[in-house]
Amino acid sequence: MTLFSKGAERTVDTFPAPRGDGETATEQAAALIQLRGVNKHFGPLHVLKDIDLDVAEGEVVVVIGPSGSGKSTLCRAINRLETVDSGTIELGGVPLAVEGKSLASHRADVGMVFQSFNLFAHMTVLENVTLGPIRVRKVPPAKARAQAMELLERVGVGQQAPKLPAQLSGGQQQRVAIARSLAMQPRVLLFDEPTSALDPEMVNEVLDVMTDLAQEGMTMVVVTHEMGFARKAADRVVFMADGAIVEQASPAEFFDNPRTSRAQDFLSKVLSH
Amino acid sequence: MSSGTLLYDALGPRAGRRVRWFGVVTGAVTLGVLFLVGEKLATEGQLSADKWGPLIDPANPRFSTLWSFLAGGMLNTLIVAVLAIVCAMAFGTAMALLRVTSQPWYRWFVVSVIELLRGIPVVLLIFFLARVLPEIGIEFSTLTFLVMGLALYNGVVIAEIIRGGLQALPRGQKEAAQSLGLSSWHTLRLVLLPQAFRMMLPALIGQLIVVVKETSLGFILSYEELLRRGQIAIQSLHNPLQMFFTIAVIYIVINLGLTLLTRRLERGARKKAPGTPADDKTPAAPLPSPAALPEVRV
Amino acid sequence: MDVILDNFDLFWQGWLRTIQICFFALLGAVPLGILLAAARVSPVPSLRTLAGGWVTVLMSCPLTVVLFFMAFGLPEIGIKGSYFWFGTIGLALYSASFVCEALRSGINAVPTGQAEAARSIGLSFMPSLGLVILPQALRSSLPPLTNAIIYLIKNSAIVGAFGVGHDLFAVADTLTAARGLAALPVLAGVIAGYLLLVLPIGRLLSLIETKVAILR
Repeated sequence: MTLFSKGAERTVDTFPAPRGDGETATEQAAALIQLRGVNKHFGPLHVLKDIDLDVAEGEVVVVIGPSGSGKSTLCRAINRLETVDSGTIELGGVPLAVEGKSLASHRADVGMVFQSFNLFAHMTVLENVTLGPIRVRKVPPAKARAQAMELLERVGVGQQAPKLPAQLSGGQQQRVAIARSLAMQPRVLLFDEPTSALDPEMVNEVLDVMTDLAQEGMTMVVVTHEMGFARKAADRVVFMADGAIVEQASPAEFFDNPRTSRAQDFLSKVLSH
Repeated sequence: MSSGTLLYDALGPRAGRRVRWFGVVTGAVTLGVLFLVGEKLATEGQLSADKWGPLIDPANPRFSTLWSFLAGGMLNTLIVAVLAIVCAMAFGTAMALLRVTSQPWYRWFVVSVIELLRGIPVVLLIFFLARVLPEIGIEFSTLTFLVMGLALYNGVVIAEIIRGGLQALPRGQKEAAQSLGLSSWHTLRLVLLPQAFRMMLPALIGQLIVVVKETSLGFILSYEELLRRGQIAIQSLHNPLQMFFTIAVIYIVINLGLTLLTRRLERGARKKAPGTPADDKTPAAPLPSPAALPEVRV
Repeated sequence: MDVILDNFDLFWQGWLRTIQICFFALLGAVPLGILLAAARVSPVPSLRTLAGGWVTVLMSCPLTVVLFFMAFGLPEIGIKGSYFWFGTIGLALYSASFVCEALRSGINAVPTGQAEAARSIGLSFMPSLGLVILPQALRSSLPPLTNAIIYLIKNSAIVGAFGVGHDLFAVADTLTAARGLAALPVLAGVIAGYLLLVLPIGRLLSLIETKVAILR
């Protein structure tokens, strides 16, 4: 069994694919996520500089770089939690909607896992996971609950279903958050520093779940400082500094033979211990 | 760092148009209402020099008399406010210390006194003092009764503010002081209280705003603070609308000044709140806005 | 004690009158406070400024001045009414600002991440507001809202002091001044009347609050 069902396995009666009609074979072969010439400023700060990025279906892209390099902003822009000043962002060949219902349905297709978990504090774990399927995907509640329980079991927190988020450890909360995203059957999952807010002993339980997802073929964009995860699970490592993509390569190539001095400098600092 | 806010997403072009449209409608309605009010005032003869002259026209023969009369009222208001806040601080600190150091067998009494004083409307407390104390042979000036009433009521509110401040201090502060060998009294006086005061300074100034407003309750004792003097002046000038408007503006200006001061202090306090490193990602919990919380929970 | 028993009818009437003032004032203050809060957090700048100005002005101005302005100023431009309504409406206008600020502080207490998470699972504006943000905001609003309500009840005594007549405060005034009765027992009775309103409401709301509190 897999942690998620891929888009192809999605049964039409349960989860109508939001824009299945227009998709042709050639479009599917193209990148699932495509960023072209994306720029963003925070006041005088140029946080994203001419970003071009393609993420293929089933690919796991890990974005690393020093803090303040714009990697979180990049990740959030794909979900339009951050607006961009110029450039285009496309999902499956369709430009990112800017507002309203079409933006909501775009976001339903893109899962997001936050650094601070952001589980809905007034809802139980189970309610957190079923809210999206019931309200957005219009899944019958009983079915949504069954699917949610299945997901919670798989990420190892089935026992916690009736509890409130605050009663869980950080690692458990983050696994629930992953289950909440998976419950929407997203086409891609974004991770914004998912382990940065965790106590060290809880980091691995979350990374294990993410590694499983990666191996099962989930399309993932992961912003992280966990170099071990990048080496093990990534198909491609993207190194960012000062708002620009400086270097991208396979993990083996990047970690063993970084080409740019920025990357060499960064790796010498994070890998020295 | 987010483009959107808690309640709404970053505005797209359609939402942006809607927002601008709402803005125009709001502006138009506001201007319309102001126009109607102005017209009503004009037709009722409320914009006449006769009514406004003594208040705004220095050439008016009554201008200087009126304003020196009102200035005296303002002075009286400030005297009450300052005396009341000073007494309230002293009383409040004493009550807070009494409460945090109390032994279980009499703590209920301290708590009851605080709860009782907080449950009584302050106007009634002032009235109570002014009527009951003379009955048992204690005669004071109206100023004293007014200050006493305000100090008692605001004192217990301040006591709860200080107690909140003490509770909010990191445990480590107390432990560090005790590990230096300070007695518990010295720990309280030298380490904990000063920090609680500094942290609660915005809330304490907020309470000063409340006190300034409550000085106007002096009218029930016919104490001649600003509002009462305005009332007296109206009897000869016959301009209640203009007079009360002017007095409202004076109170608003004073209190806005204090509010601005509070904001500045709040920003300062947030910067150097104890126990929070400057580069902490999460900002220190915002202190309760004093204006929004006229008192601590009952 | 005799004073209270002899004049129990008067006390009872005064108590009911106070409840009347509070009830009608709340009836005005809560909806107005909700409107003001909605305006203050809206994306429309002019609406935010307008509501912010209204709240700031009424919070900086003593209730007494508001009441005097209503009762003695408005008749000057031909708006006439009873002291009861002037007083109650004045109290409602004044208290609406506090209700607004209580609600706004509740909204501000919800972390932005909650809204981002709601948007990320595809909830649009209304559902994320109704299902995620408001349920949490209202719960955090409860303590300051309790304070605002209790503040309103206590302020109703100012409405009475200014001459609405026949409320609890007026009872105290009548019995001690006009009838020359001993002040202590009369005022004890009046204070008991207010505590009977304030304390149960405070207890009830803090009970509800512990029931619905959100763990974070």
